Amino acid sequence: MGVMRIGHISIKVMDMAEALKHYQNVIGMKVTHTDAGGNVYLKCWDEWDKYSVILTPSNQAGFNHVAYKVTDDFALVRLAQKVRDYGIEVEELPAGTLPDCGRMVKFNMPSGHEMRLFAEKDILGTDVGSTNPDPWPDDMRGAGAHWLDHCLLVCEMDPERGVNTLVDNKHFFIKALNFFETEQVVVGPNGSIQIACFLSHSSKPHDIAFVAGPTSGLHHLSFFLDSWHDILKAADVMAKNRTRIDVAPTRHGITRGETIYFFDPSGNRNETFAGLGYQAQRDKPLITWTEDQVGRAIFYHTGSLVESFTTVYT
Amino acid sequence: MHAVLLAETSEEYLCGSAETLLAGMVRLGRKCIPVGCVNGGCGVCKVAIVKGSVRKCGLMSRVHVSEEEESHGVLLACRATPMSEIELKVIGKMKKIIW
Ligand code: FES
Ligand SMILES: [Fe+2]
Repeated sequence: MGVMRIGHISIKVMDMAEALKHYQNVIGMKVTHTDAGGNVYLKCWDEWDKYSVILTPSNQAGFNHVAYKVTDDFALVRLAQKVRDYGIEVEELPAGTLPDCGRMVKFNMPSGHEMRLFAEKDILGTDVGSTNPDPWPDDMRGAGAHWLDHCLLVCEMDPERGVNTLVDNKHFFIKALNFFETEQVVVGPNGSIQIACFLSHSSKPHDIAFVAGPTSGLHHLSFFLDSWHDILKAADVMAKNRTRIDVAPTRHGITRGETIYFFDPSGNRNETFAGLGYQAQRDKPLITWTEDQVGRAIFYHTGSLVESFTTVYT
Repeated sequence: MHAVLLAETSEEYLCGSAETLLAGMVRLGRKCIPVGCVNGGCGVCKVAIVKGSVRKCGLMSRVHVSEEEESHGVLLACRATPMSEIELKVIGKMKKIIW
């Protein structure tokens, strides 16, 4: 009993009309709500809760907050207490603070990223329903993403000042929120510096991930697709829509995931991710990627890093 | 087509007036200005226009270009098309994520 999955992510966009074209026509989401402040709420066809992405109008791109859904109100109370016991301040937000969402607890990760937990959100159901469902709906658009799968956050690190908020986040997620680590990337003498961390709270290889960077920010939000063929089709959709592709279809060593990285019209990086790789389990030995193989950890085929991928984020 | 000259390295490329300074460069496979999101959000393609005139197209993140800077010809190369021959200086940098 505890965290179930990523519930939603809230990000800033500069041109709402362009953003909506992208998230609807390329990703394949549907708008389920627009509030008085001009914030737009969207869901994927295979999701049942009312929304998984919130777009907020702004004069910049980037991250607002990420929220994870927990099993029930009892878990919410218990986790809020564990966060407090860990020494992190918690704010209680009443039901309705976000439309159609129950009460939330809000706090900052050690990296400074705002996080929320909630137990209830209005259920619209998947687009194929729950009674004798077909495998996919007839009005699927674009890549036809199934669900928001995870996000990768850039966490401030400065070895000279002894700051590594990625490691601080890892400890917090494991101790207070009961996540477990599936994979890590280490560099430096004897691999003493951790620069990437993949954490799960389900049987997926990751539900959230962290990489180290000079300042905290958003590296990408990722949407799930079924197969390698769906990845190819998604890339075709992106080409048709003139979407800026950062990394063309390939495979990660880490998580074994099949992937495309691309940017939304405000410059927020998105990923479409296929193949659940392996079943993550709490007793599975931690996978470690070493500095000399970091290229293959990220881009398995070429084994070489892509400069924009390791330097550009919002 | 307009010539785009990089003041510091004397590199040059030709860019159409229907494409952005950055898109023109990317199309040629050139690398003289850092390339990121190509959508005005990440700021790595920040340049200062030294000579010539450009037309702004699309929104630029205010985290990366302030109104003050913009009034002095500083902008994102992915959000401006050339209207004449251009000379520019690269300001944006690839700040490295640790790996
Ligand atoms: S490339 Fe990202 S702002 Fe121009
Ligand atoms: Fe990812």
